[in-house]
Amino acid sequence: MNEQTRPTDAELNAYVDGQLDAEARARVALYLADHPEDAALVADWQAQNDDLRAAFGSFEQSRPGDINLLVPRPAPGYWQPRRLTLAAAAVLIFAAGALGGYATPRFPTTPSERLASTDLLPTEARNAFLVYASEVRHPVEVFADDEAHLAAWLGKRLAMTDLKVPNLQPLGFRLVGGRLLPVGGQPGAMFMYEDQTGERLTVLIGRNRENKETSFRFASADGVETFYWLDQDIGCAVSGEISRDMLRQVADAVYRQLPV
Amino acid sequence: MLALLPQLRRYSRSLTRSGEESEDLLQDCVEKALVNRAQWHGSNLKAWACRIMTNLHFNARRTLRRRPAVSIEEAETLPAPSTEDPLEKGRLQQAVQALPPDARAVLMLVVVEGYAYREVAEILGIPEGTVMSRLSRARQALREKMREENIIPLRRTQ
Repeated sequence: MNEQTRPTDAELNAYVDGQLDAEARARVALYLADHPEDAALVADWQAQNDDLRAAFGSFEQSRPGDINLLVPRPAPGYWQPRRLTLAAAAVLIFAAGALGGYATPRFPTTPSERLASTDLLPTEARNAFLVYASEVRHPVEVFADDEAHLAAWLGKRLAMTDLKVPNLQPLGFRLVGGRLLPVGGQPGAMFMYEDQTGERLTVLIGRNRENKETSFRFASADGVETFYWLDQDIGCAVSGEISRDMLRQVADAVYRQLPV
Repeated sequence: MLALLPQLRRYSRSLTRSGEESEDLLQDCVEKALVNRAQWHGSNLKAWACRIMTNLHFNARRTLRRRPAVSIEEAETLPAPSTEDPLEKGRLQQAVQALPPDARAVLMLVVVEGYAYREVAEILGIPEGTVMSRLSRARQALREKMREENIIPLRRTQ
């Protein structure tokens, strides 16, 4: 039995999936012939592949109603149970947020408390992302085709007359729309964007007149990355399941476009 | 797009827990693809649709993750222990359900949909190395799960 270096895990996987070139394939086969334990592992994986293809292959089928899938659906009614469940979840989460986080709406003034309270912003931003980014039909209240109204409406509620909806097109994210929602117990704005594959991100903007701090931070939880900052009385958070690098670029673009 | 539906249905079913959930996902995916078709510049329509479907699925999973308790409406769509399936297939399905969604998507794209690792990386928008580690993780988990549940009663040979 000659000594051979063990192929990498990646090579063993590629062997099983038939994604090695002929030379590498022969080398792995030669190794496996001499190493029964790894050969058994590979055989297991191959059997797994066969089982998976057998289990799901049968679902590759057309159905009589398929053509209807290509026809736009009528606007959904309120009876749709799936959407209602999500809406109910949203109400519950925000009710819990209001009770848990904002029994005292004023910004605390001692440093340690202030830190705790700024941490509410990313939590709120993440909750908003989790709730609304998963909405298929009603992710926003006002859609992008009414952008001027959206900016004017939310600008008024936030007392930011020159509020413009940040443009993230250069980064590949187009506006889906926006909605009004509570941020720190005050009227806040959420804008949602998505790229052409449906990957979404949200921008949350709130105000607190008593804040004089400026800070920028990352927060990460539940697989959702949030980049947030406080600048004078404006708090802003960008959330998404995207790389920190992309998030930073988005945050930078939003920061530069927000009124000072 | 119509010609792709059977394959998209297969991919949808391989990500979800029930036929109903699968059809919902398929429908949402087709709708999204049609709405955004002007933005499709690539060459491979199916890969693009798979990417949309995966994103939609992960979006929906986020909501489920926040609701660990099974809702009434969801409970109806959970697969009942099937009596039609051969035992082996039922166990495999259970092992698959237990996989993390990201590892599961990689496994299905490679094994069931037959994509090259590089294509999977493009579809999911992740590095190829991440594809490999998720694939490896999925295989190990599946193997362990199948072994752990593979309790063979000892029988004396006649």
